[in-house]
Amino acid sequence: MSYHASIQSETHDIDKAEPDSCIICMEDVWASYDARSTTIREINMRVSAGSNYAIVGKSGSGKSTLLKIMNGLMIPNRGTIMVDSHRPDQHNRRFQSAMARIGYIPQSLGLVRNSSVLDNVMIGALPRMGALQSLLKRYSEEDMAEARRILEMVGLSGKESRKAYMLSGGEKRRVAIARAFMQNPRILLADEIVSELDSVTSRDIMDLVAVMQRDTGLTAIMIHHDMSLALEYADRVAVMQEGRKIMEMGIDHDHVHILDFQSGNLTTQEILEMYDDSQK
Amino acid sequence: MIGAVVALVIAASWHIEASPVEFAEGLPRLWQLIEEVMVELTTVTDNMAYNAVWAMLETIQMAFIGTMVGYALALPMSLLASRNLASRWVYVPMRGLLAMARTLPSIMWALLFIIMVGPGPFAGILAITMYTLGFVAKLQYESIEAVDADPMDSASSIGLSRLQLIRFVVIPESASHLLGHLLYMFDYNVRQTSILGLVGAGGIGFYIITYTKYLQYGKAVFFMLVVLATVLVIDWISVKLRDRYVVKSQRGVAADMP
Ligand SMILES: Nc1ncnc2c1ncn2[C@@H]1O[C@H](COP(=O)(O)OP(=O)(O)OP(=O)(O)O)[C@@H](O)[C@H]1O
Ligand SMILES: [Mg+2]
Repeated sequence: MSYHASIQSETHDIDKAEPDSCIICMEDVWASYDARSTTIREINMRVSAGSNYAIVGKSGSGKSTLLKIMNGLMIPNRGTIMVDSHRPDQHNRRFQSAMARIGYIPQSLGLVRNSSVLDNVMIGALPRMGALQSLLKRYSEEDMAEARRILEMVGLSGKESRKAYMLSGGEKRRVAIARAFMQNPRILLADEIVSELDSVTSRDIMDLVAVMQRDTGLTAIMIHHDMSLALEYADRVAVMQEGRKIMEMGIDHDHVHILDFQSGNLTTQEILEMYDDSQK
Repeated sequence: MIGAVVALVIAASWHIEASPVEFAEGLPRLWQLIEEVMVELTTVTDNMAYNAVWAMLETIQMAFIGTMVGYALALPMSLLASRNLASRWVYVPMRGLLAMARTLPSIMWALLFIIMVGPGPFAGILAITMYTLGFVAKLQYESIEAVDADPMDSASSIGLSRLQLIRFVVIPESASHLLGHLLYMFDYNVRQTSILGLVGAGGIGFYIITYTKYLQYGKAVFFMLVVLATVLVIDWISVKLRDRYVVKSQRGVAADMP
């Protein structure tokens, strides 16, 4: 029951994927936190299985909210969304079975401060454990081996028993990633996990996700603060502004093509500048 | 505003006939009492000291059992009373129940249990248990509700069961507060239990009230001093424990939580 066996069959080359196949599909999605304002407007999005889909945009443009919708933490008030062929809703029985394999790393990481690195990582494996074993923290040999392998991969070997609050910012992010990897995830939703890190550490972390994608066909939806990492690692980049997706770009390593351009308040000039900035 | 409060205090004092004049007139009597006590304290026998220590131990035991049992019963109830874990249909009635347990002071619970099980330490233990239950559960569910929403969200969106969520997120995140409540409650309950003897529910209070009744104030004061000394020691220990486990871990400095 390793990752490697099941993966080969899954496509992770977006060009080969059928135009209609999307692991996350949103159609005309609107959402709001309260009756007075609308946070997410008219979102159409198709994320192909195995791709790396980046979301960028100014602070407050609705990026994190979009991720919460994909995760079923927030229910849109208009439009349709399907994630892994289920309607995301944490109270929807069918979606609950898919949740075990959707990794979610919120902007603040969501680690349990007072727990050890190992216990934090094992949270990712809890849904597949027996109820009693999990409550007694009797981890199986397989899960322990898997946890060790993942911790090694993210560079946290030897820190298993450290409490989460004693870790550095970069280490905390690796724990959050390890927790998500422990889920044997089909989808990873990551909210700015490489912001405010030095560029070497950010690249290390992005590379981990890339390796996982290559090995397991994982689909990654990642919010980025700066455009350059998005352009470097993503197959597609969506630009958000004031709750709308104003542009979507397809990246094929040599050039960027603008696939979808919905006029936002940004001028073509500003978008070009954003792109230029990211090239520096 | 302050004037109004002062006026209210004076009016209330007049109403219950509490007068500073009487207090002043009573002062020489206090002096007389102190003298009397000093004399009697020199005559404390071994037997009396033995009684005092034994009664104090009984008091501590009662407080300990009542605190532990009350605390253990409170924990599952407070989980059900937390708005971030239970649905409205569960937490509203649960909070009502806990509020009821909290309404009665421990001495009233003691009277109630004396009627049920007769006088003695058992009634006292039951009283302390009930009082602890109502009181500590409120502290507990307030800490549980203060647990950061982000770890809860990320764990529940992995698909953890409610019990797994409690075991892996809620308890570790609130452990230092929960331990703090336990220490606080024990400390508080030793004092509470010391007076339960006044109504015949066991413990050292029984001696104090009996000697007072027979006007042997010196002996009563001796027993009070034993309570005072014990409370000081327990207070000191709980400050140490709090420093070691609660304060440090809240500050994020090294501390190993159980
Ligand atoms: N829990 C909430 N309740 C009400 N409004 C919220 C809540 N969370 C976010 N908002 C509002 O929704 C809008 C979008 O927020 P969101 O967190 O999605 O932005 P973001 O693009 O992730 O920004 P950042 O880059 O700063 O993280 C903001 O105007 C924000 O104030
Ligand atoms: Mg955000």
